[in-house]
Amino acid sequence: MSPKSPAMSAERPAATKVFFREAIARALTEAMHRDPRVIVLGQDVGRHGGAYREFAGLHAAFGADRVRDMPVAEASIVGVGVGAAAAGLRPLVSITYMDFVMLGLDALVNYGAKVRYKTGGQLHAPIVVKTTAGAKGQGVAHSQSLEAWLVGVPGLKVVAPSTPADAYGLLASALEEEDPVVYVDHKRLFPIAGWVPDAPVRVPIGRAVVRRHGAHVTIATHSYMCRVADAAADRLAGAGIDCEIVDLRTLWPLDVATVASSVARTGALLTLEEGQMACGIGAELAYRVREEIGTMRVARLGAARAPISGNPRLESASLPSPDDVVAAVRGLVEPDRRPTARTP
Amino acid sequence: MSDPVALLRSMLAIRAFEDALAAHPEAGFQLLSSGEEAVAVGLCAALDADDQLLSSGRSIGPALARGLDPDRVMAELLGRATGPCKGKGGRGHLAEPAAGFFGAHAVVGGNLTIAAGVALAMKLGRRAGIVACVFGDGACGAGALHETLNIAALWKLPLLLVCDNNGWSVSTPRAEALAPRKLSDLASPFGIPGMTVDGMDVLAVRDAARALAGRIRAGEGPAFLECVAERFASHSTATRETRSPAELEAVRARCPIRRLAMALSSEGTLAPDAWRALERDATDAAARAIRYAEASPPTDVAEITRDVG
Repeated sequence: MSPKSPAMSAERPAATKVFFREAIARALTEAMHRDPRVIVLGQDVGRHGGAYREFAGLHAAFGADRVRDMPVAEASIVGVGVGAAAAGLRPLVSITYMDFVMLGLDALVNYGAKVRYKTGGQLHAPIVVKTTAGAKGQGVAHSQSLEAWLVGVPGLKVVAPSTPADAYGLLASALEEEDPVVYVDHKRLFPIAGWVPDAPVRVPIGRAVVRRHGAHVTIATHSYMCRVADAAADRLAGAGIDCEIVDLRTLWPLDVATVASSVARTGALLTLEEGQMACGIGAELAYRVREEIGTMRVARLGAARAPISGNPRLESASLPSPDDVVAAVRGLVEPDRRPTARTP
Repeated sequence: MSDPVALLRSMLAIRAFEDALAAHPEAGFQLLSSGEEAVAVGLCAALDADDQLLSSGRSIGPALARGLDPDRVMAELLGRATGPCKGKGGRGHLAEPAAGFFGAHAVVGGNLTIAAGVALAMKLGRRAGIVACVFGDGACGAGALHETLNIAALWKLPLLLVCDNNGWSVSTPRAEALAPRKLSDLASPFGIPGMTVDGMDVLAVRDAARALAGRIRAGEGPAFLECVAERFASHSTATRETRSPAELEAVRARCPIRRLAMALSSEGTLAPDAWRALERDATDAAARAIRYAEASPPTDVAEITRDVG
């Protein structure tokens, strides 16, 4: 689908409504036309066009030299990508499921993230590791959201869009970075379309955005959980509670200033993530916001401390739902109704 | 660069450098390559200026054999700002890509897929040169080697894989860690030509590396060279030696430097005074490297937050 924006006017730039996969393919196509050093490596990236068709057309346009299928061997997919990056190419490597980034962590963490430092700046690795997080019925080894692990690695940047415009804009920015970026999609976002400006509008890495304005509580979240937050905010609005939703977009470097400025207005912060809460994005963010603004009311939501089953009943009960968000917000804005905390 | 006397000089330089370094424990432990000099020197005799070399953490031999300035390598190892990595890489992570040494990486087997990536960049960029990657027998039990052999063969990468088989993974002998009879046999299922040579014979290493590098330069894809060597000391200067004094004495009797020197003197190309001069030059150069490093400023702690990315 590619309808043109109905609201085209002098104030609003032209835009096209596309799915995430189309936004991703566009960012890559433009980067590959612009820079012959950009290549794509991974499983099913060639003629197949990607597990989510997010690489559709690239193999035909740029050929098998630059769009290379690789064996199901993530350690070498990432390792070859990182080595090629250090030697002058700008690879995007695709790891279909974020769970399998684990197999490539040695090359990514011990080499890619450190090569600029350990060589005193002689080498650097401009690589984008593109992967897909989130639970959608695929069981304990295909459902995890591991962004917080990667945030703990000096030398890595981590981005996770929640809209097609940000998918385009963040990926375009990531492909121009000089050091490794992990770009994280979410399985439940692929069926969703959104407006993407026709002009090549980059989204800077390290900049959060306020998605919804509200006076009573700040919900800081990212990726698919932005939609969970929004559903909860709709319900809370009916009860007179106005939520401000900050979409973090980049998880490292964290845009603490945007969140802190929101919490300074609302006085309350709910962090919401699909991953684990222990040493999670929320823990890091809440602490740093508190460092900025002093006292505040704060709560966090994340996955239950359990594997994520492929059984749909168990899966949905493991993850934060709009109901959980509603209860957590009520607990923050009406302290006498504080819900029982989920033990991390 | 690769006549026998030059090879002897290069091996002597590594030995003297490491002996001098071992007397300076203040910068932490070191990974020495005494006994394995012929592998590094023989391999580097087969490399051209456009080639890139990657190594394991046991990298002093490869770095010096590749021609890096010993003064600056010593500075790197003693934590000085004048090292090629500004003293931030140090032992196990020496690197100077501009000099053809893409770098060491101290994760066992960790440089294999990286080397394949460097080879891919060279191939796609139609750059002259090949990539050589030295790793220990310890890396041969790791999955990284299998993945690298597979992709290198599939893509015909210009990659020379060199196993410096010193027979030990810290304390575990090769026979208790690895099933293959010959480690070069690991290459054959992938259709990659493999050779096993005596890693204590620098001329044998040089000749085999040249033959395999020649195939790679001709576009025939990767090759595998196993060099069976001996480690004269424990795994690192901080690791207990598990071999008995008698075992060590027998191992050290196989010294690749003495072996070449005796061969050259018996054929009349190395007079006794010439040998003494070579030894003296090597010792003097090592002492100079120590003096250079000690006169260099220590790496500034402000470097901690630089080059992080």
